[in-house]
Amino acid sequence: MEHNTFASLAHFRILLIPVGSISRGTFDQWAAEIRTLENIRLSDIPPGTKDEKARFMPSPKSKGYLRLCFPTHPPPSLHYAMSLFRPSHFSLGVIGIASCSQKDSISSITAEFNAAVKDLFPPDSIYPLAKSCFVFEENDGTTNLNLGDHLPGLVIIPSMMGNKKENIETLLADLCSNILAEFSTIFTTLESSLGNEYLNASLFPSLPSLADFPQPLVDDEPESLLRLSSHNSQPELSPGPLRRGSTPILGMKRNASAGAGSPMASVRQNTLNVPITRKRQSLIGATSSHGRLFKVLGDFFMLAGRTEDASVWYAEAVALFKTATDPVWYASALEGLATVALLEAWSGQGFQTSISASREPWSDISEKLDQAISLYSRPGPLSESDQRYDLLAYLYTVAILRLCFLLFATWAAKGWGPLAFTALMHPGPAPYVPPTLSHPDSHLPGNRDRLSSISGITRSQMASVIAQAHGPWLLHLGHRERIVVLETIAYLYSSLGYHRKEVYILREVVGCIMDLLVCARAENGLTVASGIMVNGRGSGDSGAVAVKGIERSAGNESVLKLVKYICEVHGIDLEAVGFVNSASGKTPDERSVPQDANTDDLQENPYGWPELQIGIIREALAVAEALPDPPSVAQFSLSALKSLYTALSDDDQYHMYYTANKALTAARRRGETRLIGYWSGRPVVSIELLQPPPSRSLVENPISILAQRPGDASKLSQMTGPFLYNPRKSVTARGSTLVVTDEPLEFVLTLHNPFVFDLEIQDLSLSTSGVAFDTKPISVTIPANSYHPVTLSGKPLEDGLLIVKGCHAQAPGGASREFFLPLATAEEEEFRLRRRSAVACESGRTKYGGLDCRPGKSGKRHSTLVMTSSSRRSIPKFLECTVVPEQPLLRIRWSSLTHGAVMLYNGEKSTLRLTLENISNLPIDFLRLSFDDSTITPAQAALAEGDLSIYDAYETEYQLINRPVFSWNQDQENIEILPGRKVALTLTCTGKVGCTSGSVFISYGYLHRRHSTLSQPPETFHTRQISYPVLVTVYNMLECHNMDILPLRSGDYESDGTPVNKEMLFRDVEEEGWCLFSIYVRNTYGLPFEVTLERMPKDTSPASTSCIVAPGAMTRLVLPLKKVKLAEEITSQAIPMLSDRQFVVDKTKLSLEEYKLQRELFWYREELFKRVRGCWREAGGTRSGELSLRQQRITLPMLDTLRTETVRIQLDLFRRDGETGEGRSPILRKGGTYYPAPYDFIYLRARIANLSFQPLVLMADTAIDPADHVIQEGVLTDIPIGRLESGEVRELETPLCFVACGRFRVQVDTRAVNTATGDAVIGTATLKVAVREDNPR
Amino acid sequence: MSHHLFLLSPSDTPLYSLTHFSTKPSQTVPSPLSANLPSWSTSAFAGTLTALSGASSVVQASTQGGGVRMGGGQDRHVIQMIANASLDVIEEVVRRDNGMYLKSVDKFNEWTVSAFVTPGNMKFVLLHEGKNEEGIRAFFTEVWELYVKVRTMLNPFHTAHNAIVSSVFDGRVRASARKYL
Repeated sequence: MEHNTFASLAHFRILLIPVGSISRGTFDQWAAEIRTLENIRLSDIPPGTKDEKARFMPSPKSKGYLRLCFPTHPPPSLHYAMSLFRPSHFSLGVIGIASCSQKDSISSITAEFNAAVKDLFPPDSIYPLAKSCFVFEENDGTTNLNLGDHLPGLVIIPSMMGNKKENIETLLADLCSNILAEFSTIFTTLESSLGNEYLNASLFPSLPSLADFPQPLVDDEPESLLRLSSHNSQPELSPGPLRRGSTPILGMKRNASAGAGSPMASVRQNTLNVPITRKRQSLIGATSSHGRLFKVLGDFFMLAGRTEDASVWYAEAVALFKTATDPVWYASALEGLATVALLEAWSGQGFQTSISASREPWSDISEKLDQAISLYSRPGPLSESDQRYDLLAYLYTVAILRLCFLLFATWAAKGWGPLAFTALMHPGPAPYVPPTLSHPDSHLPGNRDRLSSISGITRSQMASVIAQAHGPWLLHLGHRERIVVLETIAYLYSSLGYHRKEVYILREVVGCIMDLLVCARAENGLTVASGIMVNGRGSGDSGAVAVKGIERSAGNESVLKLVKYICEVHGIDLEAVGFVNSASGKTPDERSVPQDANTDDLQENPYGWPELQIGIIREALAVAEALPDPPSVAQFSLSALKSLYTALSDDDQYHMYYTANKALTAARRRGETRLIGYWSGRPVVSIELLQPPPSRSLVENPISILAQRPGDASKLSQMTGPFLYNPRKSVTARGSTLVVTDEPLEFVLTLHNPFVFDLEIQDLSLSTSGVAFDTKPISVTIPANSYHPVTLSGKPLEDGLLIVKGCHAQAPGGASREFFLPLATAEEEEFRLRRRSAVACESGRTKYGGLDCRPGKSGKRHSTLVMTSSSRRSIPKFLECTVVPEQPLLRIRWSSLTHGAVMLYNGEKSTLRLTLENISNLPIDFLRLSFDDSTITPAQAALAEGDLSIYDAYETEYQLINRPVFSWNQDQENIEILPGRKVALTLTCTGKVGCTSGSVFISYGYLHRRHSTLSQPPETFHTRQISYPVLVTVYNMLECHNMDILPLRSGDYESDGTPVNKEMLFRDVEEEGWCLFSIYVRNTYGLPFEVTLERMPKDTSPASTSCIVAPGAMTRLVLPLKKVKLAEEITSQAIPMLSDRQFVVDKTKLSLEEYKLQRELFWYREELFKRVRGCWREAGGTRSGELSLRQQRITLPMLDTLRTETVRIQLDLFRRDGETGEGRSPILRKGGTYYPAPYDFIYLRARIANLSFQPLVLMADTAIDPADHVIQEGVLTDIPIGRLESGEVRELETPLCFVACGRFRVQVDTRAVNTATGDAVIGTATLKVAVREDNPR
Repeated sequence: MSHHLFLLSPSDTPLYSLTHFSTKPSQTVPSPLSANLPSWSTSAFAGTLTALSGASSVVQASTQGGGVRMGGGQDRHVIQMIANASLDVIEEVVRRDNGMYLKSVDKFNEWTVSAFVTPGNMKFVLLHEGKNEEGIRAFFTEVWELYVKVRTMLNPFHTAHNAIVSSVFDGRVRASARKYL
């Protein structure tokens, strides 16, 4: 494939064609071998035999080169109109390359070669000028070629030949020599006046055929003329006026060449025949200008490697064209001059001379080309026959490309120098990539800018030149030329880094190729599909195009590569959805980076031009459909859907989805083995394990709890630890979920479909690791534009750890892909949040513009994000389930409650029976019950709040622990329920006001199972729980009020009208040290209740009092109690906490005494409730229960009454009888009042007993009121009693005499002395005395 | 004569586009080489090629006698392609040119591309046919001012990637286009 290069005008083209049954590889090998011979020294070319053909022959000593170029493709037949205009465009010679094999005989090769040449070149063409066939002998030596056979134009190169290259070079030189000789023949024809007329006849003239040669019209001696002029290669054609027009540089060059080149040209060029030439000049000039003739001469000389001659003749031609209006030929001559200038520079001549101080050395060449381009673009008025727009457009574009190459090579070579010359001279077939552009950093803009600043050529300057080549006239060109031109333009743009422009051109290239394909198919029917194969990468690095045969997918591949590249530059990743080999079934890259899937949801800045992107996608689809390549159709449409769905319209989305499905079906029908990867982004949003029904849910317990009895603390079940805040609590709560072997699990997957069509997922299954998991994939259709929950179920087959990593999803016709879904741990959430905010932070700003911010380039761009992600990244956590061995299952078969409801009076106890049945295959050897009721939670909340006073807190705890609604006597704990057996449980249910509902929780498990190994016994065991809710109604029918404790002295009770049973009640109350407990009980219910107060037998005999309380009535109940004395060790104890909750420092600021008092009150109250118990019974019914007194408060006076005194003083009055006063007779006493007679000598006796636990030193004071009417002996106050040990009694007698009738009151106080705080009254007793006349003495 | 204005974000996304038909006659003369173009194929791909090479506009021009082309006479897609492709040159020129107004920075087919690059790397790209250097400069300056002031940059809810949908902006840009182009 030819390739436009700058120096193409100087290239000596020799076509290489394969002959015979040569394989492509062999042909390429030999072609490459031949192509190494780019230059042949002129001195190596054998001189021709005939003199008249030696005009273009080099002298043996000349120093120039023939620049060979070996295309493998002949120019199109339409271009043969240019055969004289531009001989360098055509293959001057043909070399057939054949390989010897047994199949081909020499003669058949020759015949084939000749036929091929005939086939390739039109019959009226003057080319090729020479042909030769090289037959390479194969190495195996099995050829049967007879080397002796010599056929003309056939050369056999034996395999054992040592230096093949040298041999080939010689052969080539021979061929060139022949061609050069043919040049002379052609030119000889043109030189004649008829030839010149023909040459000037039309824009693209042809050589007159021999038949057209009108012999009579020519000169008398045409032969001599031709012969003479054939020697004349340095004519002195235009002596004065024409020469003046030539540029000084050209003149200089000519001089230089004349000086330097004279020895080499001496042999043939010195044989000038000036006069004859002059004569001929005048002769020919009479009819038409010689400009074209000279130009052709220049062309031939340039091809022949004689640049000086070429330069001279071009100059002559230009001089002539300046006056004539022949713009196209003029332009061509200018191009020739430009080429000559380069050749001279390359060979080192003229390089020095053309340097001038102010201008760039190449500016002269570029000016010439500029001029040529403008001339080509205005071809002037054309006659009908000259309107060869295809050729004109071709010449125009080629000229522009020539200029482009000049600028580009200079730019890429950092200026005008040998590197640039090499690039410009490079013949192809592949373009020469200068080292400045091929090193790895060359794509950086800095590199290109550096090249620009060194060479002085900016990229935009070049781009503007390239842009001139692009225009509607491209449509004039033939297909091949158009593709070549477009590819060259694309290559140049690509090398400049102008990728958008490159892509613009590449779209045209693709359009061109596809059009050919479609048209060819339309012509030949669908069976004969033909395509174009584009070699090399789509970026236009190489522009080789060859026709491809049917059913070769390499061409398709290349076209698709181009399309993908186009899309990539526009920011569309057509390979966003990859292919998966169906054998492996998994895409390795996606498996290795599971966490990157998370970033899908992060919105990056949109890149690109949505309208253009959609247009390009549509075109890409059309291309893939037309090829046809169904897998690519599917890939493209799905990739577009995946990456561009936000920009696509609804119709487009439908269409693409439909197209993709159709294409996938077609691909499968055609036996496509690859599968398309999963495409629709990330379908799974979340995975959750559906909680099993509560009866199947499992609890893990440490084995240690078996050891401890479920004590009272467990009643406060929420408060397992002593601390209010437990930092580990949340951790343990979030442990992995427990599931049971062989029991079904259900997972809820939330799927997302962002598209406007219903998305079908053929197979959706869970991706798990760890223990074996039996799950079945399901098929789902996600409705358009929505989130859709789906339940997947499965069964773990063994115990261990089950990790749910995500799910596998498979679209119809595609491959399955695994999606990972890490658990939304705090770390993960934080990471995502940070990422999101980082993206949000960057989203408004743009660090990179243009092509650099394409999504594909983001690896480098989001360096901050990448850094945070890599530094943070730990192994993602997945949903984990602990699979435990099989567990038994229990159910409640029967319960004694109807409708699960129970109705109770407050304090009533009733029983509840539950029958349990084991419905599993495993025995149950562990059973434990726990209870909950509606009173527990508020009480616990109140306790947890900590605002209760210490007193209330105790009371609340007491209620929780000692008066539960439900209780179970735990004798039955160690029962075992065998599979299929039943067991009955009996529970007690107590009525408690405020309770509305309760539950019974039955935890059970199979503990003592056989372990398969002898390893460490497990530290945990698992239980299941069933719950039995109970609806509780509690009626509060009796209320207690106004508890009081009153002092009671013997005889007090007699005063009131007492019922009969009181006698019995007070029977014991003989002595001192009793008090009276009284309480009011109110019946708020509609039925009468009999209420009983019971005195518990402690240090007294049991007693009870009861009465029937009518509905709505309030009754007072009294019960005598013995006073209580509690040791200080008890009363000084702090109020205890029944639960092990955290101690909270009391907020109330109490003094020490107040604390003491509080504790005393507490302990005496507790003691009181130990001694008194209330209970009730339904009057006339059977229901009975306890009457709680605990709501009642104890007050300080009550405490004083209840508590036994420190010092007890008993007073009585007596009279001494007898002489000695030994005998004593009591004074009449009634109702606690003594009735002595006046003026009688009586004694007041005070028995002072120390009832405390310490010894006391006491003083006593006696006060008698009114004191005036009493006479006593001794003092009444400050009577020393002395030290009394604990329990010691001392009597004090005071003789008295009442001297008046009336009522007296006697009071004795004892004071303790020696106390630090001074004296305190610690005991008091009073005595009432009624003195009357009639009292007995 | 038609003008096509595109406001492009730094990531090459058009935020606003305007097609303006001016009453001035078209100045460009089609190249003689573009005469008598063959209609050599009818396939869709050939259509793409024809449009991209700029041939369709020429054909239309010849049928309408070079008058005012309604509808721009061009495939809108091709116009956008050209505007997009010209970003290559704009990006390069911006690297060495400090000015915001890049006059006639690129030429493609019959279009001349002028551009204006704001300090925020927003690119205003105008495709036009004739020469109207000062008019375009004034137009760009006014559009920039509008861009900054009217509901875009001074709007706290507007980022560099939001499409401009403000009707006020649109109206004023149109008025400015009528005035200068």
